[in-house]
Amino acid sequence: MSKPSDLIQGTLDLLILRTVSLEPMHGWAVARRIQQVSADALQVTQGALYPALHRLEQQGWLKAEWRATETGREAKFYALTRAGRTQLEKELAQWERLSNAVGMVIRMA
Amino acid sequence: MRWFDILRLRWRSLTRRTRVERELDRELTFHLDQEAEVYRQAGMSPAEARHAAERRLGGIAQIREECRDMRRTSYIENFARDAHYAVRTLGRNPGFAAAIVLTLALSIGANSAIFSVIDGVLLRPLPYPKADRIVRIFFRSKSFAKFPVNPFDLRDMRARNQAFGCLAGMTRADRQLSGAGEPQRLSSFAVTAGYFRVLGIAPALGREFNTQDELPGNGNVVILSDRLWRTRFTADPNIVGRKITLDAAPFTVAGVMPPNLQHPGNDYHSVADGDTVDVWTPFTYQGDASFRGSHYMEAIARLKDGVAMGRAQADLDAMLEQLALEHPDSTKGWRAWTVPLYDETVGSSRRLLLVLLGAAGLVLLIACSNAANLLLARATSRQREIAVRAALGAGRSRLVRQMLAESLLISLLGGGLGAAFAFGGVRALQALLPAGFPRASSIHVDAVMFTFTLAIALGTGMLFGLAPALQAARADLQQSLREGGRGSTAGARQQWLRSALVIGEVALACMLLTGAGLMLRSFVNLMRTDPGFRGERVLTAAVSLPQATYPKRAVMWPFYNRLGQLLNDIPGVRVAGMGSDLPWTGYDENFGGFAIEGRQPPPNAEFHARYHVADANYFQALGVPLLRGRFFDAHDTSGSRAVMVINRTMARAYWGTDDAAGGRVAFVDNPKDEDWVTVVGVVGDIKDHPSSASAAPAMWWPVQQMPFGFSNMSLVVRAVGDPARLSGQIRAAVHHMDPNLAVADVRLMNEVAGASFSSPRFALFLAALFATLAGTLAAIGIYGVISYSVGQRTHEFGLRVALGAKPWDVLRHVMEQGVRLAAAGIVIGLGSALLLGRVLSALLYGVSAADPVTFTSVALAAIAVAALSCYIPARRATGADPMTALRSE
Repeated sequence: MSKPSDLIQGTLDLLILRTVSLEPMHGWAVARRIQQVSADALQVTQGALYPALHRLEQQGWLKAEWRATETGREAKFYALTRAGRTQLEKELAQWERLSNAVGMVIRMA
Repeated sequence: MRWFDILRLRWRSLTRRTRVERELDRELTFHLDQEAEVYRQAGMSPAEARHAAERRLGGIAQIREECRDMRRTSYIENFARDAHYAVRTLGRNPGFAAAIVLTLALSIGANSAIFSVIDGVLLRPLPYPKADRIVRIFFRSKSFAKFPVNPFDLRDMRARNQAFGCLAGMTRADRQLSGAGEPQRLSSFAVTAGYFRVLGIAPALGREFNTQDELPGNGNVVILSDRLWRTRFTADPNIVGRKITLDAAPFTVAGVMPPNLQHPGNDYHSVADGDTVDVWTPFTYQGDASFRGSHYMEAIARLKDGVAMGRAQADLDAMLEQLALEHPDSTKGWRAWTVPLYDETVGSSRRLLLVLLGAAGLVLLIACSNAANLLLARATSRQREIAVRAALGAGRSRLVRQMLAESLLISLLGGGLGAAFAFGGVRALQALLPAGFPRASSIHVDAVMFTFTLAIALGTGMLFGLAPALQAARADLQQSLREGGRGSTAGARQQWLRSALVIGEVALACMLLTGAGLMLRSFVNLMRTDPGFRGERVLTAAVSLPQATYPKRAVMWPFYNRLGQLLNDIPGVRVAGMGSDLPWTGYDENFGGFAIEGRQPPPNAEFHARYHVADANYFQALGVPLLRGRFFDAHDTSGSRAVMVINRTMARAYWGTDDAAGGRVAFVDNPKDEDWVTVVGVVGDIKDHPSSASAAPAMWWPVQQMPFGFSNMSLVVRAVGDPARLSGQIRAAVHHMDPNLAVADVRLMNEVAGASFSSPRFALFLAALFATLAGTLAAIGIYGVISYSVGQRTHEFGLRVALGAKPWDVLRHVMEQGVRLAAAGIVIGLGSALLLGRVLSALLYGVSAADPVTFTSVALAAIAVAALSCYIPARRATGADPMTALRSE
């Protein structure tokens, strides 16, 4: 099992926001999606996922509602709020800057 | 009762399980199902798939807890639960809880009570608009550190200064109100124009005095206090312009002041600030403005906006230099000294109050370390419980919070009880406050005090709870669980913490004990000092003769003479005399610049002395001893040779010997032979106050030779039996002479004297109270630590005994441990007391702040108390039964 430190601190929020920005999703789907898209390179700590979802909901960046999945079971779906979208853009811009900078340093050094 | 408990728990778990909790569970179950489905499709058995999914997700309980944390409401929920749990744990140990709560309540109560005194006296602004702009102005010279002002100098300063918007003077001038009812002595001040503008308070009716009122002949106007207006004049709205009778003369009412006007306080014949002044009359300027030797005006002024104190001081200095050039005989040598009114009012009490607050704070610290120590001990015995909780998923911060909830609950209970104590304490303090304590009237129990109490309760809760909480949460899970049922021994680190706490407690208690000891020593010194008079069975009273009916000495002399005879004729009176003032009532009139036959004053100084008048029996009635020569007698009259009595200090200072009888003093320049006054007697010294460093030179004229009219006289009656019974007859004697005279301030001389001890007594009482509390707490602390450690080591002691140790060895071993802790505390405490001694020295009398007797006694007492507190647990240790010890393994 992966430890929280496998993900760079604070990136979990970004990943969740980005994932949910496509369409409303339940927790398990969020975890799956991150794993699949990153071709299993990013193992989301499932235990850390839910507290993060709850925190983002509390901060008003996500809103949640219970509705039926394709299989007919009830699940809690998370969707991005307007504030969440702004936050996502901010975090994305920050991430770009950081990864560009790191990339540059690595190439130039 | 068991079924009831179960039922209660069930009910709680039902109601507490909120909708949110259920949703979280559903969410997590959904996740596990989905995950398991994936594993199942990959070929696992349902059970295997389920396990894999659970492993992947991690501890459900932890996730739940973390999610709860993410929702902010969790804090409140948790706190409620923690508090509930805390109540239950404390309830299981009521003795333990009561002990901590009570000690905390006592110390919190003490702090709150002292704080509310400080709030009323020091923190609240004075009751005048922009009170920080009001200053008092004094004169000072080489001989006098702080002196009243001459009225003519005051008038010139008022006219010439640039720095003050308003400058005024006041001087005590009591009046007698007659008319309807018994004549009443009014506390009264003669004030110059602008006095009330300095205070910033305008009359509610009528007008303030102006400079016209200061001219001779215009002075018969009066401003009444609200209280007098209501009590004597039925709040008559048309009072302004009416005439009332003061000192047997008509005065026109010019105005009435608003209610609750507080007197700003004064030195000379003082009315304490906040006390009532009944009437104000204009100060009348008369006489020769070029003679400025007499100083009795108290100056008060309001700084102009934007003018700093320093500039005002410089302005006054420059002005006085100019005045000294204009009046080289009298104004020369004086410098001005401005003091903010606030400092002048509370300055003397600030140190005392801050020292007391400091002492109360130390007691609180001791109570805190005590509570921390007891909690630490308990946390150790609860280590297993805590370990189990941690294993079940309680996070560290959660555990700390849980422990803190407990200590906060204790401290809040202590605070609540403490507030009740403080409520009573403030009342008690008000009753105990020394007579004339500044601003005593503005001390109240109010919201500020309760806020303060709440704040220190929360603060102490955090303070004494944090260390044990962190300690407990740090506990090593595995080890605690493995140690299982066996009471785990405290780790070295914990033992160190607890020892440090006890050492700190003992040190703080020693500091307080030293302070209290020093105060006790100085109080004993004060009481032991020979007062210079015998106050037992002496009754005193005050009489003042109105100017209108007793305008000259020629009228006063027969009155005083006859009154003296009447008083001595009262049955039960041993001897009755009268004089211008009583011992220990502050400093009296001082006269400087007289001549002594054949002697020269030291360079840059002048001969000066307190001056008084006394009749033939005054000294005997007070019990003042005669050292040389004789007292006055019936032959010392206005027609006979001028004589005086002086005190020993004056004799020694100016004649160099006690035997100054026969020396001669003159009060005029270039004295002719008949101007010389002969010293006929030398009497013992009496200080201005019992705590004054030394007596000042003093002299007395005989009443029948007084050089100018003394219209206020104190009667001193020494009784054969109970003096209190004589008050009616004294009144009757005065009224027999003149039914319009008021007899005021009828008091026992012991009361007068006692009042001057009230300040050191107050300090001593509180210091002793705090020291006792501190000592008790520290003893409990030592007892707690030693008895805990004995409890932990029963097994070891059992083994020792089994291996042949004598009970005495065990006893000594345990006692040594405790006494060593105490000794460390004592050394630190006494060292700190030595360093802090300077703070106290101003409050001490006749004892050094490093008094070796006090320090040694405190050290011995502390060792004794420590030994006593160790003895009981040590005895228990000797009783350790080797068999039980071994079996308990």
